[in-house]
Amino acid sequence: MRYRVNPDLKLDLNRFGVKEDWQDCFHCGNCTAVCSLTEENILFPRRIIRNVQLGFKNKLVTDVDPWLCYYCGECSETCPREANPGELMMSFRRWLTIKYDWTGIARLFYKSLPAFLIAMIVVAIGIIVIGITKDFKAEAMMEFGHKFEKYVIYAVACLILLPNLLRMFWFVILKNKLKVPVFAYISNSLSLFVNLFTQKNYLKCEGDTFRWVEHLLIVIGYLGLLVITVFFNWFNTDSETVKWIGYIVGALVFIFTFDFVLKRSSKKRESSKFSHPSDWMFVVWLFLLGLTAFITRILVDAGAIENNLWVYFIHLIVIAQWGLLIVPFGKWTHFLYRAFAIYFSNLKQAALMK
Amino acid sequence: MGDKIGICFYDSGQGFSDYFNFKELYDYASGLPQVTKIWNTTELDLKSPEKINEQIKEVNPDKMILAGDFPGEIKNLFVSAMSLAGKKAENIELASFVEHAYLNGQSTEMAKVVLLCAIKGVDIRKVLVPDEVDVHPDTLVIGGGIAGIQASLEIANGGQKVFLLEKTGTIGGHMAMFDKTFPTLDCAACILTPKMVDVGQHSNIELITYAELKSISGVPGDYKVTIHKKARKVNLATCIGCGICSEKCPRVAPSEFDAGIAMRKAIYIPFPQAVPNKYLVDEANCTYFENGKCKVCVKLCPVPDCIDLDEKDTDVEITVGNIIVASGFKPFDAKRIERFGYGKFPNVLTSLEFERLINASGPTGGNITFRSQDKKGNWIFKDGSGTPSKIAVIHCIGSRDENYNKYCSKVCCMYSLKLAHLIKEKIPEADVFEYFIDMRAFGKGYEEFYERIKQENVHMIRGRTASIKEKDQKLELRSEDILNEKIIEQEVDMVVLAIGLEAAENSNELANMLGIPSSKEGWYNEVNYNSNPVNTSTGGISIAGLCQGPKDIPDTVAQASAAAARVLQSIIKGKIQKSIKDIKLTDVETSINQLMKK
Repeated sequence: MRYRVNPDLKLDLNRFGVKEDWQDCFHCGNCTAVCSLTEENILFPRRIIRNVQLGFKNKLVTDVDPWLCYYCGECSETCPREANPGELMMSFRRWLTIKYDWTGIARLFYKSLPAFLIAMIVVAIGIIVIGITKDFKAEAMMEFGHKFEKYVIYAVACLILLPNLLRMFWFVILKNKLKVPVFAYISNSLSLFVNLFTQKNYLKCEGDTFRWVEHLLIVIGYLGLLVITVFFNWFNTDSETVKWIGYIVGALVFIFTFDFVLKRSSKKRESSKFSHPSDWMFVVWLFLLGLTAFITRILVDAGAIENNLWVYFIHLIVIAQWGLLIVPFGKWTHFLYRAFAIYFSNLKQAALMK
Repeated sequence: MGDKIGICFYDSGQGFSDYFNFKELYDYASGLPQVTKIWNTTELDLKSPEKINEQIKEVNPDKMILAGDFPGEIKNLFVSAMSLAGKKAENIELASFVEHAYLNGQSTEMAKVVLLCAIKGVDIRKVLVPDEVDVHPDTLVIGGGIAGIQASLEIANGGQKVFLLEKTGTIGGHMAMFDKTFPTLDCAACILTPKMVDVGQHSNIELITYAELKSISGVPGDYKVTIHKKARKVNLATCIGCGICSEKCPRVAPSEFDAGIAMRKAIYIPFPQAVPNKYLVDEANCTYFENGKCKVCVKLCPVPDCIDLDEKDTDVEITVGNIIVASGFKPFDAKRIERFGYGKFPNVLTSLEFERLINASGPTGGNITFRSQDKKGNWIFKDGSGTPSKIAVIHCIGSRDENYNKYCSKVCCMYSLKLAHLIKEKIPEADVFEYFIDMRAFGKGYEEFYERIKQENVHMIRGRTASIKEKDQKLELRSEDILNEKIIEQEVDMVVLAIGLEAAENSNELANMLGIPSSKEGWYNEVNYNSNPVNTSTGGISIAGLCQGPKDIPDTVAQASAAAARVLQSIIKGKIQKSIKDIKLTDVETSINQLMKK
């Protein structure tokens, strides 16, 4: 395949948070060598910077490696040109997110904050309208909310997430014309699930264990909260066990996301120095989600939900915005893409080994 | 002249706004009656000449002055823009501040002169001519490295008196420490030591070693310089250099000349070919200065009253007409980059240390060995402690790095190649790895030298090493092979860090004392990089060698000779120009008016 230098790519990339620092790169290879995740056939970030400099879009879109980076920031800290390779990788993941999204809505939201905010307002209005039709009765509202969550999950998973993952598969495996042995699909599927829920590759990043623990607790909290509210109807359950598990997972979510928000605000760590609106939306909404769920259940326990229905109402708005916008088109997808990237990367290795 | 003059200010963003007060210059320019309109590039849309033309056509200036630190950067745009308005390229005048007005402290005043000359259409070189005064025929050369030695010899051979001031106990500087020079592979000492001996014996050169500049007063052509002579504690006139004192001295300290890889005594001669070849006492490491006892050296010295441990520092004052600053550089401190483990792993050494190790006159007689501990626990190199078979040289240590020094130190690529050659010469079966980012083989015979080293089976790896780890007494280097997109984890026995060059310690103090401008990095600034690379804006003070910026030995020698030529020029003429920096804006206005009348 022949490549052409494409200077337009940088204009496109500018909208995804990256500054043009990568133009300063003089290819010393420090970032690649300093990274504890680089391996045989998995080389970043310098190779990717080179492809960006030349604008090799086709090469970039089929590249799965950016997802393997957990942004410890060491490359940016030690870069002799201050070319910020870590942030380029982060911006690149945003760019890939919109490339995988078949609807094009992610592209709109990532590139235009106003468009995203309008969508958020529209969703909020929608929930208010539904509230009006239900006369703001607690029981009816909660029943609606429960059903709503369930259907949104199914719809988003089938209509958006699954097709997007297939697109990712198409880009990474099929477009690269990789002949993956069938056995590899099966043998690597276990590690897919392990990575999905533990992000254990994160631990290879030196000195980042605490960040991994925090991240893991958020994942556990989030998935726990999802299961407990959707499948065990946490807000209306009488089971003491379910109730207390719900409290714990809810607390995990808002406590640790609060710490993430603090880190992004203080900008002390290399990885939280630069925040794209999508990063802010993700952590802040996750925080609100955990917090409002927690308070709602407290009010239910105290028998005061009827008089304080606005708390649940906010929760419902947050859930709707989360489920309809942030999960399918926002940063949430990195949860899937990261794990599948490791899976696809393993498939790629298997194909290359053959 | 009814021409409409427009000015456009431009700041390239390279940090020169710290030196030039653009606001003040803007106000100054707007106060000038000839100026019709002033723009700032920050307000203009510089996307295309068409855009610029649209923005300036309302005023339609007959002459456009581009003023800024590097206005040449936007000249092409404006040439096109003006041509759209039917104006010629000659209608554009550059007021380049960095080129003509880059002085410490008063750059803005000088920038006004540059601006005024551009507005009036006068060549700045015609008005920035200082008055001439009588010159004292004696010259002071500060620094006894190869630059100072060369400059002193040129002037002294021309029949004029030179005071050569050296901070340490001997002249020779860094060059004396080197084994070979690149690309000719000449023996550095064979070139340098005869020159050093010449300096020591020259009737026109008064050598003042172990001394520093204390203060300076006076005017160009007649400087009163006070020199602080540190107590050598050994009489230069009577010391016969027999060495008995040193032999029996009970105390040791790392040898400066051997870059700390070997020990010397507290009473010592820096190296066997030192000039003057006389001993000196290192107060900081002498037992007598710790507890008042010992005096072994005094007791054993065969010459009466030669060693006087109670000798005090003295000041001497001299009068000179010219001063040549050749104060040299300081090697980068490799400890600052922890990832390379310098100071932690014994067999990671700096290029300067390696230069001594591989030198036939060095502590191991030129044998490459491992660093080991002596009886007292000092890490030194001595003969017979094993031979490394794999040696890596890492380029750009502390250079070309935003976290340390941004600039290229210019000499490291070439001296690293030279070291590779020397290793191969000493241990032909050794593997030598050169880790580089870009190979800078500028200059006569340099590229050929690079090709030659490649022929010698040296492994060239494009890609900077990220880190060094110690593994079973070996050193593991992790780097990316840029050309092949692979991670290389290479085990070697020894690593040489090609450290860069930095401005000498106290270079800013010296600059302030002499009133010469220096760059942010501490390098001294010349009047004009292209056309006057040795004079400074202070009259009678020239610069030569590394103090001006990184350069290799041939360039240093050439510049030292050039500086000497300037000095001799003024002595022969009997006159010297006063300082450019003392020219006032009012003086320039007067001389412009005189020029206009003619």
